[in-house]
Amino acid sequence: MAIRDEFEVAAGQVRAAVQRFALGLLVIAAFGAMLVGKADTVLVEHARVLALDLASPVLEAIARPVAVANRTIADLKEFASLREENARLREENARLLAWQTAARRLENENEGLRGLANFREGPEASFITARIVGDSVSAYVRGALLNVGRRVGVAPGQAVVTGEGLAGRIAEVGDNSSRVLFVTDVNSRLPVLIERTRERAILAGDNSSQLRLTLLQSLQGVQRGDRIITSGHGGSFPVGIPVGEVVGTGEGHVRVRPFADFSRLEFVRVVDYGVTGLVSGPQGTPSTPSGVAGQRVR
Amino acid sequence: MKADGLLAVLDRWGRATLPGAVLLFFVLLTLAPLRAPYLSDALPLLPALVVFQFSLATPERLPGPLLLAMGILLDLLLGGPGAPVGVSALGFVLIRAAVVANRRYLVGVPFLFQWFGFCLLSLGFVILVWGFTALWTWTAIDPVPALIQYVVVVVIYPLIAPWLARVRARDPLNVPEPSRGTARPGETTS
Repeated sequence: MAIRDEFEVAAGQVRAAVQRFALGLLVIAAFGAMLVGKADTVLVEHARVLALDLASPVLEAIARPVAVANRTIADLKEFASLREENARLREENARLLAWQTAARRLENENEGLRGLANFREGPEASFITARIVGDSVSAYVRGALLNVGRRVGVAPGQAVVTGEGLAGRIAEVGDNSSRVLFVTDVNSRLPVLIERTRERAILAGDNSSQLRLTLLQSLQGVQRGDRIITSGHGGSFPVGIPVGEVVGTGEGHVRVRPFADFSRLEFVRVVDYGVTGLVSGPQGTPSTPSGVAGQRVR
Repeated sequence: MKADGLLAVLDRWGRATLPGAVLLFFVLLTLAPLRAPYLSDALPLLPALVVFQFSLATPERLPGPLLLAMGILLDLLLGGPGAPVGVSALGFVLIRAAVVANRRYLVGVPFLFQWFGFCLLSLGFVILVWGFTALWTWTAIDPVPALIQYVVVVVIYPLIAPWLARVRARDPLNVPEPSRGTARPGETTS
Protein backbone atom coordinates (compact mmCIF):
# COMPACT_ATOMS: atom_id res chain seq x y z
CA MET A 1 0.00 0.00 0.00
CA ALA A 2 2.81 2.35 0.99
CA ILE A 3 4.71 1.49 -2.19
CA ARG A 4 1.67 2.26 -4.24
CA ASP A 5 1.24 5.59 -2.53
CA GLU A 6 4.87 6.46 -3.14
CA PHE A 7 4.51 5.49 -6.75
CA GLU A 8 1.49 7.70 -7.11
CA VAL A 9 3.32 10.58 -5.46
CA ALA A 10 6.26 10.13 -7.81
CA ALA A 11 3.95 9.90 -10.83
CA GLY A 12 2.22 13.03 -9.68
CA GLN A 13 5.53 14.81 -9.39
CA VAL A 14 6.54 13.76 -12.89
CA ARG A 15 3.18 14.90 -14.23
CA ALA A 16 3.55 18.24 -12.45
CA ALA A 17 7.07 18.67 -13.84
CA VAL A 18 5.92 17.91 -17.38
CA GLN A 19 3.04 20.32 -16.98
CA ARG A 20 5.32 23.00 -15.61
CA PHE A 21 7.77 22.65 -18.47
CA ALA A 22 5.14 21.90 -21.11
CA LEU A 23 5.34 25.37 -22.59
CA GLY A 24 9.13 25.26 -22.64
CA LEU A 25 9.12 21.86 -24.32
CA LEU A 26 6.62 23.03 -26.95
CA VAL A 27 8.63 26.16 -27.67
CA ILE A 28 11.78 24.08 -27.99
CA ALA A 29 9.95 21.71 -30.33
CA ALA A 30 8.81 24.62 -32.51
CA PHE A 31 12.34 26.00 -32.68
CA GLY A 32 13.57 22.49 -33.41
CA ALA A 33 11.18 22.26 -36.36
CA MET A 34 12.47 25.58 -37.69
CA LEU A 35 16.10 24.53 -37.33
CA VAL A 36 15.47 21.17 -38.98
CA GLY A 37 13.73 23.03 -41.80
CA LYS A 38 16.77 25.24 -42.24
CA ALA A 39 19.29 22.42 -42.04
CA ASP A 40 17.55 19.69 -44.04
CA THR A 41 15.75 21.34 -46.91
CA VAL A 42 15.17 18.03 -48.69
CA LEU A 43 13.22 16.65 -45.74
CA VAL A 44 11.08 19.78 -45.58
CA GLU A 45 10.50 19.60 -49.32
CA HIS A 46 9.21 16.03 -48.93
CA ALA A 47 7.01 17.08 -46.02
CA ARG A 48 5.61 19.99 -48.05
CA VAL A 49 4.82 17.73 -50.99
CA LEU A 50 3.16 15.20 -48.70
CA ALA A 51 1.04 17.89 -47.03
CA LEU A 52 0.13 19.23 -50.47
CA ASP A 53 -0.97 15.83 -51.74
CA LEU A 54 -3.05 15.25 -48.62
CA ALA A 55 -4.70 18.65 -48.72
CA SER A 56 -5.40 18.90 -52.42
CA PRO A 57 -8.46 16.56 -52.53
CA VAL A 58 -10.08 18.60 -49.75
CA LEU A 59 -9.21 21.81 -51.53
CA GLU A 60 -10.53 20.48 -54.80
CA ALA A 61 -13.82 19.67 -53.09
CA ILE A 62 -14.21 23.25 -51.90
CA ALA A 63 -12.76 24.81 -55.05
CA ARG A 64 -16.06 24.80 -56.92
CA PRO A 65 -18.18 26.52 -54.27
CA VAL A 66 -15.33 28.98 -53.82
CA ALA A 67 -15.25 29.60 -57.58
CA VAL A 68 -18.99 30.25 -57.56
CA ALA A 69 -18.56 32.73 -54.72
CA ASN A 70 -15.73 34.43 -56.59
CA ARG A 71 -17.79 34.67 -59.76
CA THR A 72 -20.67 36.22 -57.84
CA ILE A 73 -18.35 38.83 -56.37
CA ALA A 74 -16.85 39.56 -59.79
CA ASP A 75 -20.33 39.78 -61.36
CA LEU A 76 -21.48 42.26 -58.78
CA LYS A 77 -18.44 44.38 -59.47
CA GLU A 78 -18.94 44.21 -63.23
CA PHE A 79 -22.61 45.15 -63.15
CA ALA A 80 -21.59 48.62 -62.12
CA SER A 81 -19.52 49.23 -65.24
CA LEU A 82 -21.37 47.10 -67.79
CA ARG A 83 -22.04 49.85 -70.30
CA GLU A 84 -18.51 51.26 -70.41
CA GLU A 85 -17.06 47.77 -70.50
CA ASN A 86 -19.22 46.90 -73.51
CA ALA A 87 -18.14 49.97 -75.44
CA ARG A 88 -14.51 49.33 -74.61
CA LEU A 89 -14.73 45.70 -75.72
CA ARG A 90 -16.41 46.62 -79.03
CA GLU A 91 -13.62 49.04 -79.79
CA GLU A 92 -10.97 46.52 -78.78
CA ASN A 93 -12.63 43.85 -80.90
CA ALA A 94 -12.45 46.03 -84.00
CA ARG A 95 -8.80 46.72 -83.33
CA LEU A 96 -8.00 43.05 -82.74
CA LEU A 97 -9.73 41.99 -85.97
CA ALA A 98 -7.33 44.22 -87.86
CA TRP A 99 -4.47 42.64 -85.98
CA GLN A 100 -5.78 39.17 -86.77
CA THR A 101 -5.62 39.89 -90.48
CA ALA A 102 -2.10 41.15 -90.08
CA ALA A 103 -1.11 38.11 -88.01
CA ARG A 104 -2.54 35.68 -90.61
CA ARG A 105 -0.61 37.38 -93.38
CA LEU A 106 2.60 37.40 -91.33
CA GLU A 107 2.19 33.77 -90.31
CA ASN A 108 1.92 32.69 -93.93
CA GLU A 109 4.86 34.82 -94.90
CA ASN A 110 6.89 33.53 -91.94
CA GLU A 111 6.14 29.92 -92.82
CA GLY A 112 7.21 30.50 -96.39
CA LEU A 113 10.43 32.16 -95.35
CA ARG A 114 11.21 29.43 -92.83
CA GLY A 115 10.73 26.87 -95.53
CA LEU A 116 13.12 28.79 -97.77
CA ALA A 117 15.75 29.19 -95.04
CA ASN A 118 15.45 25.61 -93.76
CA PHE A 119 14.88 26.98 -90.23
CA ARG A 120 14.77 24.46 -87.39
CA GLU A 121 12.62 25.40 -84.45
CA GLY A 122 13.28 24.29 -80.85
CA PRO A 123 11.33 21.44 -79.28
CA GLU A 124 7.59 21.83 -79.42
CA ALA A 125 5.80 22.65 -76.21
CA SER A 126 2.73 20.85 -74.96
CA PHE A 127 0.33 22.26 -72.39
CA ILE A 128 -1.19 20.71 -69.31
CA THR A 129 -4.32 22.53 -68.25
CA ALA A 130 -4.79 22.79 -64.51
CA ARG A 131 -7.31 24.20 -62.09
CA ILE A 132 -6.10 26.38 -59.25
CA VAL A 133 -7.36 24.63 -56.13
CA GLY A 134 -5.57 26.70 -53.53
CA ASP A 135 -3.94 30.04 -53.04
CA SER A 136 -0.73 30.18 -51.15
CA VAL A 137 -0.88 33.91 -50.92
CA SER A 138 0.01 35.55 -47.66
CA ALA A 139 2.08 38.53 -46.65
CA TYR A 140 5.17 36.47 -47.42
CA VAL A 141 4.41 34.21 -50.37
CA ARG A 142 2.82 34.63 -53.76
CA GLY A 143 1.78 31.31 -55.20
CA ALA A 144 -1.00 28.83 -55.87
CA LEU A 145 -1.73 25.13 -55.71
CA LEU A 146 -2.66 23.19 -58.84
CA ASN A 147 -4.57 19.93 -59.17
CA VAL A 148 -2.01 18.33 -61.48
CA GLY A 149 1.21 16.64 -60.52
CA ARG A 150 3.87 14.17 -61.52
CA ARG A 151 1.27 11.72 -62.87
CA VAL A 152 0.51 13.93 -65.87
CA GLY A 153 4.06 15.06 -66.40
CA VAL A 154 4.43 18.21 -64.33
CA ALA A 155 8.01 18.82 -63.21
CA PRO A 156 9.70 21.53 -61.15
CA GLY A 157 10.82 24.53 -63.15
CA GLN A 158 8.15 24.37 -65.84
CA ALA A 159 6.50 27.60 -66.89
CA VAL A 160 2.91 28.34 -65.89
CA VAL A 161 0.98 30.61 -68.24
CA THR A 162 -2.42 32.20 -68.44
CA GLY A 163 -4.15 33.60 -71.49
CA GLU A 164 -2.48 36.95 -70.90
CA GLY A 165 1.06 35.87 -70.18
CA LEU A 166 3.43 34.16 -67.81
CA ALA A 167 2.15 33.53 -64.30
CA GLY A 168 5.09 31.76 -62.69
CA ARG A 169 6.96 28.52 -62.49
CA ILE A 170 6.37 25.17 -60.81
CA ALA A 171 8.19 25.04 -57.47
CA GLU A 172 7.10 21.76 -55.87
CA VAL A 173 5.44 18.71 -57.36
CA GLY A 174 3.46 15.97 -55.65
CA ASP A 175 1.75 13.01 -57.26
CA ASN A 176 -1.48 14.85 -57.98
CA SER A 177 -0.71 18.38 -56.94
CA SER A 178 1.89 21.04 -57.43
CA ARG A 179 2.75 24.48 -56.20
CA VAL A 180 3.27 27.46 -58.49
CA LEU A 181 5.51 30.29 -57.45
CA PHE A 182 4.20 33.45 -59.09
CA VAL A 183 6.59 35.85 -60.80
CA THR A 184 5.66 38.41 -58.16
CA ASP A 185 7.04 36.27 -55.31
CA VAL A 186 10.12 37.57 -53.56
CA ASN A 187 12.01 34.39 -54.50
CA SER A 188 11.27 34.66 -58.20
CA ARG A 189 14.11 35.51 -60.63
CA LEU A 190 13.38 35.29 -64.32
CA PRO A 191 15.71 35.76 -67.31
CA VAL A 192 13.87 38.03 -69.76
CA LEU A 193 14.28 40.06 -72.94
CA ILE A 194 13.05 43.54 -73.66
CA GLU A 195 11.07 42.87 -76.82
CA ARG A 196 11.90 46.09 -78.66
CA THR A 197 15.65 46.29 -77.95
CA ARG A 198 16.36 42.55 -77.46
CA GLU A 199 18.29 43.49 -74.35
CA ARG A 200 18.66 40.80 -71.70
CA ALA A 201 17.68 41.37 -68.11
CA ILE A 202 16.56 39.68 -64.92
CA LEU A 203 13.02 40.21 -63.68
CA ALA A 204 12.63 39.89 -59.93
CA GLY A 205 9.53 39.85 -57.74
CA ASP A 206 9.22 41.51 -54.36
CA ASN A 207 5.78 40.29 -53.18
CA SER A 208 4.15 43.49 -54.44
CA SER A 209 1.90 43.65 -57.48
CA GLN A 210 4.73 44.94 -59.69
CA LEU A 211 8.05 43.46 -60.72
CA ARG A 212 11.54 44.88 -60.66
CA LEU A 213 13.73 44.75 -63.77
CA THR A 214 17.44 44.39 -63.17
CA LEU A 215 19.32 45.08 -66.34
CA LEU A 216 22.45 43.24 -67.19
CA GLN A 217 23.66 45.97 -69.51
CA SER A 218 22.52 49.56 -69.37
CA LEU A 219 19.39 51.28 -68.26
CA GLN A 220 19.25 53.39 -71.38
CA GLY A 221 16.75 52.58 -74.02
CA VAL A 222 14.04 51.22 -71.76
CA GLN A 223 10.82 53.12 -72.24
CA ARG A 224 7.42 53.06 -70.67
CA GLY A 225 5.22 50.55 -72.43
CA ASP A 226 8.05 48.26 -73.51
CA ARG A 227 6.95 44.65 -73.49
CA ILE A 228 8.99 42.14 -71.49
CA ILE A 229 9.16 38.53 -72.71
CA THR A 230 10.92 35.42 -71.47
CA SER A 231 14.38 34.93 -72.94
CA GLY A 232 14.44 31.15 -72.59
CA HIS A 233 17.86 31.23 -71.00
CA GLY A 234 18.51 28.69 -68.31
CA GLY A 235 16.30 25.75 -69.06
CA SER A 236 12.75 24.72 -69.42
CA PHE A 237 11.18 28.05 -70.34
CA PRO A 238 10.14 28.63 -73.94
CA VAL A 239 11.27 31.83 -75.61
CA GLY A 240 8.89 34.72 -76.02
CA ILE A 241 6.15 34.21 -73.47
CA PRO A 242 4.90 37.70 -72.67
CA VAL A 243 5.49 38.60 -69.03
CA GLY A 244 4.59 42.23 -68.58
CA GLU A 245 5.12 45.80 -69.64
CA VAL A 246 7.27 48.58 -68.28
CA VAL A 247 5.18 51.04 -66.30
CA GLY A 248 7.85 53.23 -64.77
CA THR A 249 11.54 53.94 -65.08
CA GLY A 250 13.42 55.56 -62.25
CA GLU A 251 16.91 55.89 -60.89
CA GLY A 252 18.50 52.46 -61.10
CA HIS A 253 15.28 50.49 -61.28
CA VAL A 254 12.54 49.74 -63.75
CA ARG A 255 9.05 48.71 -62.64
CA VAL A 256 7.12 46.16 -64.67
CA ARG A 257 3.42 45.35 -64.48
CA PRO A 258 2.73 41.63 -65.11
CA PHE A 259 0.15 40.82 -67.80
CA ALA A 260 -1.33 37.95 -65.81
CA ASP A 261 -4.18 39.04 -63.55
CA PHE A 262 -3.42 37.17 -60.34
CA SER A 263 -6.60 38.31 -58.66
CA ARG A 264 -8.85 36.26 -60.90
CA LEU A 265 -6.92 33.17 -61.87
CA GLU A 266 -8.98 30.01 -62.08
CA PHE A 267 -7.32 27.90 -64.75
CA VAL A 268 -3.72 27.97 -65.88
CA ARG A 269 -1.60 26.01 -68.33
CA VAL A 270 1.65 24.34 -67.42
CA VAL A 271 4.06 24.48 -70.35
CA ASP A 272 5.70 21.14 -70.83
CA TYR A 273 8.69 22.08 -72.88
CA GLY A 274 11.91 20.44 -73.91
CA VAL A 275 12.83 16.81 -73.38
CA THR A 276 9.98 15.98 -71.04
CA GLY A 277 7.52 17.42 -73.53
CA LEU A 278 8.74 15.11 -76.26
CA VAL A 279 8.82 11.89 -74.28
CA SER A 280 5.95 11.70 -71.84
CA GLY A 281 2.42 12.88 -71.37
CA PRO A 282 -0.80 11.52 -72.83
CA GLN A 283 -0.92 13.20 -76.21
CA GLY A 284 -3.90 14.01 -78.31
CA THR A 285 -6.39 12.84 -75.71
CA PRO A 286 -9.55 14.85 -75.34
CA SER A 287 -9.74 16.90 -72.19
CA THR A 288 -11.42 15.31 -69.22
CA PRO A 289 -14.24 17.05 -67.33
CA SER A 290 -11.85 18.06 -64.56
CA GLY A 291 -9.86 20.02 -67.11
CA VAL A 292 -6.76 17.86 -66.84
CA ALA A 293 -5.37 17.07 -70.23
CA GLY A 294 -2.11 16.63 -71.96
CA GLN A 295 -3.04 18.19 -75.25
CA ARG A 296 -0.25 18.96 -77.57
CA VAL A 297 -0.48 22.42 -78.89
CA ARG A 298 1.83 23.93 -81.38
CA MET B 1 -19.60 3.97 -13.72
CA LYS B 2 -22.59 3.90 -15.97
CA ALA B 3 -22.19 2.38 -19.41
CA ASP B 4 -22.77 4.99 -22.08
CA GLY B 5 -24.95 4.61 -25.11
CA LEU B 6 -23.57 5.01 -28.58
CA LEU B 7 -25.01 8.50 -28.94
CA ALA B 8 -23.43 9.62 -25.69
CA VAL B 9 -20.05 8.29 -26.80
CA LEU B 10 -20.38 10.01 -30.15
CA ASP B 11 -21.43 13.17 -28.39
CA ARG B 12 -18.40 13.09 -26.11
CA TRP B 13 -16.07 12.41 -29.01
CA GLY B 14 -17.64 15.18 -31.01
CA ARG B 15 -17.17 17.63 -28.19
CA ALA B 16 -13.59 16.56 -27.60
CA THR B 17 -12.56 16.84 -31.23
CA LEU B 18 -14.61 19.87 -32.25
CA PRO B 19 -12.01 22.59 -31.52
CA GLY B 20 -9.27 20.63 -33.28
CA ALA B 21 -11.53 19.99 -36.26
CA VAL B 22 -12.51 23.65 -36.52
CA LEU B 23 -8.87 24.65 -36.35
CA LEU B 24 -7.99 22.15 -39.10
CA PHE B 25 -10.83 23.54 -41.22
CA PHE B 26 -9.51 27.08 -40.88
CA VAL B 27 -5.96 25.93 -41.62
CA LEU B 28 -7.22 24.43 -44.88
CA LEU B 29 -9.43 27.43 -45.58
CA THR B 30 -6.26 29.53 -45.57
CA LEU B 31 -5.49 27.96 -48.95
CA ALA B 32 -8.94 28.40 -50.47
CA PRO B 33 -8.64 30.60 -53.54
CA LEU B 34 -11.27 33.04 -52.30
CA ARG B 35 -11.03 36.36 -54.09
CA ALA B 36 -13.21 38.45 -51.82
CA PRO B 37 -11.51 41.80 -51.40
CA TYR B 38 -9.87 42.27 -47.98
CA LEU B 39 -11.32 39.06 -46.57
CA SER B 40 -8.88 36.87 -48.47
CA ASP B 41 -6.04 38.96 -47.05
CA ALA B 42 -7.07 37.97 -43.56
CA LEU B 43 -7.41 34.22 -44.20
CA PRO B 44 -3.86 33.34 -43.08
CA LEU B 45 -4.52 34.89 -39.66
CA LEU B 46 -7.85 33.16 -39.02
CA PRO B 47 -6.23 30.04 -37.50
CA ALA B 48 -4.62 32.32 -34.91
CA LEU B 49 -8.07 33.74 -34.16
CA VAL B 50 -9.44 30.23 -33.68
CA VAL B 51 -6.58 29.34 -31.35
CA PHE B 52 -7.21 32.48 -29.30
CA GLN B 53 -10.94 31.94 -29.04
CA PHE B 54 -10.78 28.26 -28.14
CA SER B 55 -7.98 28.86 -25.66
CA LEU B 56 -10.39 31.17 -23.91
CA ALA B 57 -13.20 28.65 -23.96
CA THR B 58 -11.69 25.19 -23.69
CA PRO B 59 -7.87 25.13 -23.59
CA GLU B 60 -8.00 21.50 -22.41
CA ARG B 61 -9.46 20.41 -25.73
CA LEU B 62 -6.76 22.25 -27.67
CA PRO B 63 -3.61 20.74 -26.18
CA GLY B 64 -0.17 22.13 -26.97
CA PRO B 65 1.05 19.21 -29.11
CA LEU B 66 -2.04 19.55 -31.33
CA LEU B 67 -1.31 23.25 -31.79
CA LEU B 68 2.28 22.39 -32.65
CA ALA B 69 1.14 19.94 -35.32
CA MET B 70 -1.43 22.36 -36.76
CA GLY B 71 1.09 25.19 -36.88
CA ILE B 72 3.62 23.05 -38.70
CA LEU B 73 0.91 21.90 -41.13
CA LEU B 74 -0.06 25.51 -41.80
CA ASP B 75 3.56 26.46 -42.44
CA LEU B 76 4.10 23.49 -44.73
CA LEU B 77 0.98 24.29 -46.76
CA LEU B 78 1.31 28.04 -46.90
CA GLY B 79 5.01 28.70 -46.94
CA GLY B 80 7.05 29.20 -50.03
CA PRO B 81 10.57 27.89 -50.45
CA GLY B 82 12.83 29.03 -47.65
CA ALA B 83 10.05 30.14 -45.31
CA PRO B 84 10.48 28.95 -41.72
CA VAL B 85 8.48 25.82 -40.89
CA GLY B 86 7.26 25.96 -37.30
CA VAL B 87 6.94 29.67 -36.73
CA SER B 88 3.13 29.51 -36.74
CA ALA B 89 3.39 26.56 -34.33
CA LEU B 90 5.47 28.72 -32.02
CA GLY B 91 2.94 31.53 -32.32
CA PHE B 92 -0.03 29.25 -31.61
CA VAL B 93 1.62 27.75 -28.55
CA LEU B 94 2.51 31.19 -27.21
CA ILE B 95 -1.02 32.51 -27.82
CA ARG B 96 -2.48 29.59 -25.88
CA ALA B 97 0.00 30.03 -23.04
CA ALA B 98 -0.68 33.77 -22.87
CA VAL B 99 -4.45 33.25 -22.82
CA VAL B 100 -4.30 30.52 -20.18
CA ALA B 101 -2.00 32.61 -17.98
CA ASN B 102 -4.34 35.61 -18.25
CA ARG B 103 -7.71 33.91 -18.12
CA ARG B 104 -8.55 36.06 -15.13
CA TYR B 105 -8.57 39.13 -17.37
CA LEU B 106 -10.07 37.49 -20.43
CA VAL B 107 -12.80 35.09 -19.33
CA GLY B 108 -16.13 36.36 -18.09
CA VAL B 109 -15.29 39.95 -18.95
CA PRO B 110 -17.06 42.27 -21.40
CA PHE B 111 -16.49 41.45 -25.04
CA LEU B 112 -14.46 44.62 -25.59
CA PHE B 113 -11.78 43.36 -23.21
CA GLN B 114 -11.52 40.11 -25.14
CA TRP B 115 -11.27 42.05 -28.36
CA PHE B 116 -8.52 44.16 -26.89
CA GLY B 117 -6.72 41.02 -25.72
CA PHE B 118 -6.97 39.60 -29.20
CA CYS B 119 -5.60 42.84 -30.68
CA LEU B 120 -2.52 42.61 -28.47
CA LEU B 121 -1.87 38.90 -28.92
CA SER B 122 -2.44 38.83 -32.66
CA LEU B 123 -0.14 41.82 -33.06
CA GLY B 124 2.50 39.81 -31.23
CA PHE B 125 1.80 36.87 -33.54
CA VAL B 126 2.10 38.98 -36.70
CA ILE B 127 5.36 40.54 -35.51
CA LEU B 128 6.74 37.13 -34.58
CA VAL B 129 5.96 35.59 -37.96
CA TRP B 130 7.19 38.66 -39.85
CA GLY B 131 10.39 38.80 -37.83
CA PHE B 132 11.23 35.15 -38.22
CA THR B 133 10.40 35.10 -41.92
CA ALA B 134 12.61 38.13 -42.53
CA LEU B 135 15.39 36.60 -40.45
CA TRP B 136 15.11 33.18 -42.05
CA THR B 137 15.10 34.35 -45.64
CA TRP B 138 17.46 37.23 -44.81
CA THR B 139 15.51 39.71 -46.87
CA ALA B 140 13.88 42.96 -45.91
CA ILE B 141 10.21 42.02 -46.20
CA ASP B 142 7.75 44.83 -46.65
CA PRO B 143 5.72 44.86 -43.40
CA VAL B 144 2.73 46.68 -44.91
CA PRO B 145 0.90 43.57 -46.26
CA ALA B 146 1.32 41.88 -42.87
CA LEU B 147 -0.12 44.95 -41.15
CA ILE B 148 -3.07 45.04 -43.55
CA GLN B 149 -3.73 41.38 -42.69
CA TYR B 150 -3.61 42.29 -39.03
CA VAL B 151 -6.04 45.19 -39.35
CA VAL B 152 -8.52 43.11 -41.35
CA VAL B 153 -8.48 40.20 -38.91
CA VAL B 154 -8.92 42.55 -35.95
CA VAL B 155 -11.90 44.14 -37.68
CA ILE B 156 -13.60 40.83 -38.50
CA TYR B 157 -12.94 39.37 -35.05
CA PRO B 158 -16.36 40.46 -33.69
CA LEU B 159 -18.04 38.66 -36.60
CA ILE B 160 -16.38 35.29 -36.03
CA ALA B 161 -15.57 35.15 -32.33
CA PRO B 162 -19.15 34.99 -30.92
CA TRP B 163 -19.89 32.20 -33.34
CA LEU B 164 -16.86 30.20 -32.14
CA ALA B 165 -17.62 31.04 -28.53
CA ARG B 166 -20.89 29.08 -28.73
CA VAL B 167 -18.85 25.95 -28.24
CA ARG B 168 -18.62 26.91 -24.56
CA ALA B 169 -22.24 27.68 -23.88
CA ARG B 170 -23.51 24.15 -24.50
CA ASP B 171 -20.65 22.33 -22.89
CA PRO B 172 -21.45 20.30 -19.75
CA LEU B 173 -17.74 20.20 -18.93
CA ASN B 174 -17.99 23.83 -17.93
CA VAL B 175 -19.83 22.80 -14.80
CA PRO B 176 -17.33 22.62 -11.91
CA GLU B 177 -15.96 19.16 -11.27
CA PRO B 178 -17.63 18.27 -7.93
CA SER B 179 -21.13 19.15 -9.00
CA ARG B 180 -20.96 17.47 -12.38
CA GLY B 181 -23.49 14.72 -12.78
CA THR B 182 -25.64 15.74 -9.85
CA ALA B 183 -27.04 18.84 -11.51
CA ARG B 184 -30.55 18.46 -12.85
CA PRO B 185 -31.68 19.93 -16.13
CA GLY B 186 -32.26 23.64 -15.74
CA GLU B 187 -30.29 23.86 -12.55
CA THR B 188 -27.49 26.39 -12.46
CA THR B 189 -24.33 26.40 -10.45
CA SER B 190 -22.87 29.38 -8.71
